Amino acid sequence: MSFGAMAAWQAVLLIAGAAAAAAWIFLIKIKPPRVRVPSLLFWRRVLDQKRDETWWERIRRAVSLAATILIAVVLAMAVTRPGPRAATSSRGRMLIVLDSSWSMLAATNRGDTRWDRAVREARALAASAGGDDVALATTVDGIVEGPTSDLALIETALDRLAPSGGAPAPWPRVGGADVVHFLTDGAHARPLDPSVVVHSVYEAAPNVAITAFDARPVPAGGAAAAEAYLEIANYSERPQQARVTITRGTAVAFDQPVALAAGELVRQVAPLAATGGPRLMARISAPADALAIDNEAVAWIQGAEPLTVVVVSEKPSAVAQLLKRDPAVRVLEIPPASYQSGKEDVVVFDRWVPPAAPPRPALVIAPTPSPWIGRVSGDEKNPRWTESSVHPVLAGVDPLTLDIKRAYAYDGSGQTAVAKSERGTPLVSIVDQPDRRAVVLGFSVADSNLAFAPAFPVIVGNALEWLARPTFDTAGQSGPVMLPASVTRVVAQDGDVVPLLRAGNRIAVSLRKPGLYRVEAGGARGVVAVNVGDPEVSNLGRTTLTAGARSVVPAGLGSGQPWWIYGVIAAFVLVAAEWWTWQRRITV
Amino acid sequence: MARLRFEDDFLKKLEYLHVISKRAFAGQNRADRLARKRGRGLEFADHRQYAPGDDFRHIDWKAYQRLNRLLLRLFDEEQDLPIYLFIDASRSMSEPAKFDQARRIAAALCYIGLAHLDRVTILTFGGTLGDETMPGRGKGRIFRVFEQLERLEPGGTTNLRETFKQFASRSRQQGLAVVISDFLDPQGFESGLKILASMGHDVFVVHIASQADRMPGSLGEVRFVDTETGELRDVEVTPALARAYGEMWETHAAELELFCGRYNLGYVRADAERSFEQIILHTFRKGRFLA
Repeated sequence: MSFGAMAAWQAVLLIAGAAAAAAWIFLIKIKPPRVRVPSLLFWRRVLDQKRDETWWERIRRAVSLAATILIAVVLAMAVTRPGPRAATSSRGRMLIVLDSSWSMLAATNRGDTRWDRAVREARALAASAGGDDVALATTVDGIVEGPTSDLALIETALDRLAPSGGAPAPWPRVGGADVVHFLTDGAHARPLDPSVVVHSVYEAAPNVAITAFDARPVPAGGAAAAEAYLEIANYSERPQQARVTITRGTAVAFDQPVALAAGELVRQVAPLAATGGPRLMARISAPADALAIDNEAVAWIQGAEPLTVVVVSEKPSAVAQLLKRDPAVRVLEIPPASYQSGKEDVVVFDRWVPPAAPPRPALVIAPTPSPWIGRVSGDEKNPRWTESSVHPVLAGVDPLTLDIKRAYAYDGSGQTAVAKSERGTPLVSIVDQPDRRAVVLGFSVADSNLAFAPAFPVIVGNALEWLARPTFDTAGQSGPVMLPASVTRVVAQDGDVVPLLRAGNRIAVSLRKPGLYRVEAGGARGVVAVNVGDPEVSNLGRTTLTAGARSVVPAGLGSGQPWWIYGVIAAFVLVAAEWWTWQRRITV
Repeated sequence: MARLRFEDDFLKKLEYLHVISKRAFAGQNRADRLARKRGRGLEFADHRQYAPGDDFRHIDWKAYQRLNRLLLRLFDEEQDLPIYLFIDASRSMSEPAKFDQARRIAAALCYIGLAHLDRVTILTFGGTLGDETMPGRGKGRIFRVFEQLERLEPGGTTNLRETFKQFASRSRQQGLAVVISDFLDPQGFESGLKILASMGHDVFVVHIASQADRMPGSLGEVRFVDTETGELRDVEVTPALARAYGEMWETHAAELELFCGRYNLGYVRADAERSFEQIILHTFRKGRFLA
């Protein structure tokens, strides 16, 4: 037996002390209550009368004393958190690593999940440490608790933990760890040190899952405005009749039964109408399905919502004229005197800028000097566009078709030139900062042939898309994601704000829960979809574990519970029995 | 202290009751109870030979005509009955239920006696004979009795022998003696009652007992305090001990009843928990003490 809360000598001392205290309390003479009787005449006679005591009467005081000491001992033992000393336990540190991939949420035949089994096994292992240090880690988060000899901390951490999927972190390491226990279902193959004791919680289970889901706008000319791509799989040994539903906002966009053969993977493309919201959700249901988290997937249709653009110009703007021809854009043209920042997606400043930087993303064309744009630091006549960076704003722009008569350079901070003239004059610059997001054209439409060049709608369209709908290079799966440094806030679907971690010139966030995340950067808002969809996770009929892994046997009634709970229960039963017998004067 | 007022209905019921004495005693005043001596009553009793000095008015002239002898007509004398109500006011009676029961019974018997013009004497006793009160005759005096009983406070230790020895030390007319007590006398009840019976009184015993007297129950470890003597005794009252005590008390009650039967004393047990009206109207009548 080991004691989880303290060293063995401390536990023995505590138990002995509790027993001695209980015996002392039992034996000290407590002043009995006074009872007035009319006369002691008969009591005296009864007491003086020699009366044969029964066997029980002779020993009941001893029984009461024994019961009292036993109650104290059991309670003291509960405090010491006793547990069985495992054969693998050692005198050093123990590291317990839990596999926190999504497949650990798979239901087993007993009604619990692989994760439940792993947590129970982890508790038992921690209890068997015998007062030695224990560290707790997961495959995704690394070390989450310890090393500590306080089992309460480990148990609290176990209560708090849950599978979170995502890319695995580097294998956790604890200095001085003599034994490492890894509790896993083997969904993902991991190179492990031979000394790691692998505990398998794997149990084959049927599952139907959405393994891929995405949506994209269809290029102009197609019959539909967008289409959804869906991939579903039946990871069970029997055919299943599944039902697939795709909802767009609150409306059902697709709903039909799908017959899936055993092990079959079905890919489906569903056309989506021009109208409707950008939010898509796919659901699949089937009779034999052990994992629920992969039954749903979300996607976001970029460009499904029209952009609201405010064009601020003293004179009629060619940009406004251009945008009015685009049905996906709502344009409002106002003079500078009427400008007030509102809820527009993008604001276009044509040959005028306000003194303060606008809170919304801005396309700035040949701006007048201002504190946030800077002063004109130079100009160039007939500049030749010779240098271009790879940037979404310049995608598809043919500089050879442009004839610029005069371009101006600005010395404002935060501007990065993505297109320059031969002499280095910035022609197109971008500002991508947490408080500001802008595209600055160093030449005006009037000083160039831009209004008539094929590049005009391309560069304006690119700029609006980049400004209003930032895209982020994510894998679409849960786990850590690197985002640009201009990102200011990431909000989950349920309203929780995801903590941001600055890593150099990037922002790292951990998107754990499947769903849509709103990413805010420089006043613009983008959406990132996170789905479980992974054949490695969803195929619950396979494991990478070898036969050498120890199988966690589902234990019988009450196993997995720490012993102290039984100690407390026993103490309460004894107290109740003692109280009952004392009330009836059976014991003293 | 409980008030000893009775309801009118109950008092009317009491008026129909008579205290029964097994024997006829000589009284002092005319009343409605047949006395031992012949006298001036209305009910014819016997004839006797005329003797000089007898009242001519009582000569039975019709008998003289038939028998040619002077015979005198004798009539039963109807007189009052001396009733002595002994109330145990020792500290063992200090349990309110017991003491109230004793005082109520005494008050009721007193009312019955007064209603029938009997001569009631109330005597309290603890270690010795205490106050002695003669309220007079007639039921109108009952309120004085109530007041006196309400003022009564328990005190002293029970000593029946000493009490009745003191009672016997004075010359008293023989009559009915009612002893209302719990009979928890360390010296025993026998000698005291024998003294009372030997004085020629018709003795009637009313045994007051409470639940605490009869069966205190399993109290566990307690320190008993003797109400009379103040003696302390630590006792662990187990169920077995409580049972033994209960048996001991029942033996005591049975011995008291047996003693009364042997010496031709009336005995009624009046548990404090029982209804007082039931004891008066049923138990006492059943015990041939009231009719």
